[in-house]
Amino acid sequence: MIEFREVSKVYPDSDAPAVRELSFTIPDGEICVLVGPSGCGKTTTMRMVNRLIEPSSGEILIDGEPNTAMSGTELRRSIGYAIQQIGLFPHRTIAENIATVPALLNWSRDRIRSRVDELLELVGLEPDRYRDRYPAELSGGQQQRVGVARAMAADPPIMLMDEPFGAVDPITRERLQDEFLNIQQNIRKTVVFVTHDIDEAIKLGDRIAILEQGGTLARYDTPENILSEPGSEFVASFIGGDRVLKRLSLTRVGEVELEPPNGEKDLPRIDERMTLRDALSELLGRGAGKGVVTGDGGVRGAISIDAIREMFRTGETPRD
Amino acid sequence: MTEAAPQFISWSWIAENFSDTIVPAIIGHVYLSAVSVAIAVLISLPAGILAAKRRGLYAPITAFTGLLFTIPSLALFTILVTVPGIGIGPNAVIIALVAYSLLVLIRNVVAGLDSVPAETIDAAKGMGLTSRQILFRVELPLALPVIVAGVRIATVTVIGIATIGAYVGGGGLGTLIFDGINRNFSTMVITGAVLATALAVAADLLLLGVERYLRPWARRKQEEAA
Repeated sequence: MIEFREVSKVYPDSDAPAVRELSFTIPDGEICVLVGPSGCGKTTTMRMVNRLIEPSSGEILIDGEPNTAMSGTELRRSIGYAIQQIGLFPHRTIAENIATVPALLNWSRDRIRSRVDELLELVGLEPDRYRDRYPAELSGGQQQRVGVARAMAADPPIMLMDEPFGAVDPITRERLQDEFLNIQQNIRKTVVFVTHDIDEAIKLGDRIAILEQGGTLARYDTPENILSEPGSEFVASFIGGDRVLKRLSLTRVGEVELEPPNGEKDLPRIDERMTLRDALSELLGRGAGKGVVTGDGGVRGAISIDAIREMFRTGETPRD
Repeated sequence: MTEAAPQFISWSWIAENFSDTIVPAIIGHVYLSAVSVAIAVLISLPAGILAAKRRGLYAPITAFTGLLFTIPSLALFTILVTVPGIGIGPNAVIIALVAYSLLVLIRNVVAGLDSVPAETIDAAKGMGLTSRQILFRVELPLALPVIVAGVRIATVTVIGIATIGAYVGGGGLGTLIFDGINRNFSTMVITGAVLATALAVAADLLLLGVERYLRPWARRKQEEAA
């Protein structure tokens, strides 16, 4: 659990604070996305967790202990760190890069080697093929995978990620996000994730902290709640005019209660892994009021535009 | 006037004086150059690191070493010879050669450290490396090829200027050149000049190899592109 208590940061060369009296709590095992326009202090906020930046006032508690209880370097070794520019060591092989923190913690050679291979597998890079390569020999997407693997190397309970999927093309980015969500389901880290992309925030966040210019917290809540009730002008404009559709994208077709299939032919097929948003788009595009939902086991049921509308009206779009 | 004009190159002189005159001159030259560059590197590394970390020191350091660099070599040699405790001999030459090397070496140490990507240092810090660990495990290894490139330039320069050092008794291949001029004996002049050039080229290639060796990550990338 990470708890911000009235945390402010004023940089020496400016009079306006970068972050102003921030108070919020991130529960264990959740992804908290810090999002906001540039200059809102989201990166500063993240960097205060592992004390790359020291707050001017207030304190940050990690599992109830102030993060100043141990030295900065010791603290940072216990927290995963991944950044947009990745910052892999160009003179070290992939294996050596991933092993950075375990080596600092004096793990045995065998333990490091098996951990490196395990992580490479986890992020979808064949260990035999990539272990001994240098970062420059990898594509941007592969490097970002290594960056994430390196951040997870010593199995830290907390990970800080500053736009870790920012430097790749949209398709790769989407895939990396999906993979990361899959990994997170198993490892359940407490993640502080910085992005300027509201769609990424909605997709990844268990909770979203929306920061406003001047470093104040405009809203801290689940994506579902923020999308259904933005609460303020700023939040509404930041999440965009398509918030209703964004809300639909939180839920996959397979997660909602379907109507029984009634054997009608010629209806469009909807894959159960599609989001409600994509399903709605598909139905509208085909000019159909209803579609047949299919999954691995064949036909699973049917879904209609009316049903989607009804679900939306009653707010019954379960997230999980 | 019956005697034939002296040959341009007397191979027999070279053969006769090879082990007694030529080899010691080569060794002397290598000694002068190597010791000078070594001392200069020992001074430049800490000075360069300091200048890179405390930016305010960079301008005065380069101004001072730049001033040293502009002093004509013959003038500097002869001035040093008059300094009590230095006198005629290799020491005056070594001091001057060190002085000439500082500018390029310090500049390359700073340039090398500057070339380390900021995000690499940020990542290192964010993972909990101490400043000392960042310097020795990240910054210096990444700066090393640029530093060695500076050593290369300094070495080649020093090998060239060292020949003049023979004028103040420094020894080395310059001795052959000056003696040859005095005796109007072209063989000695040519031998000295050719060997000094060959030494400079050899040192250059050797250090180029070192530079490449220190950058395996870039080498691998080039191979792949080829």
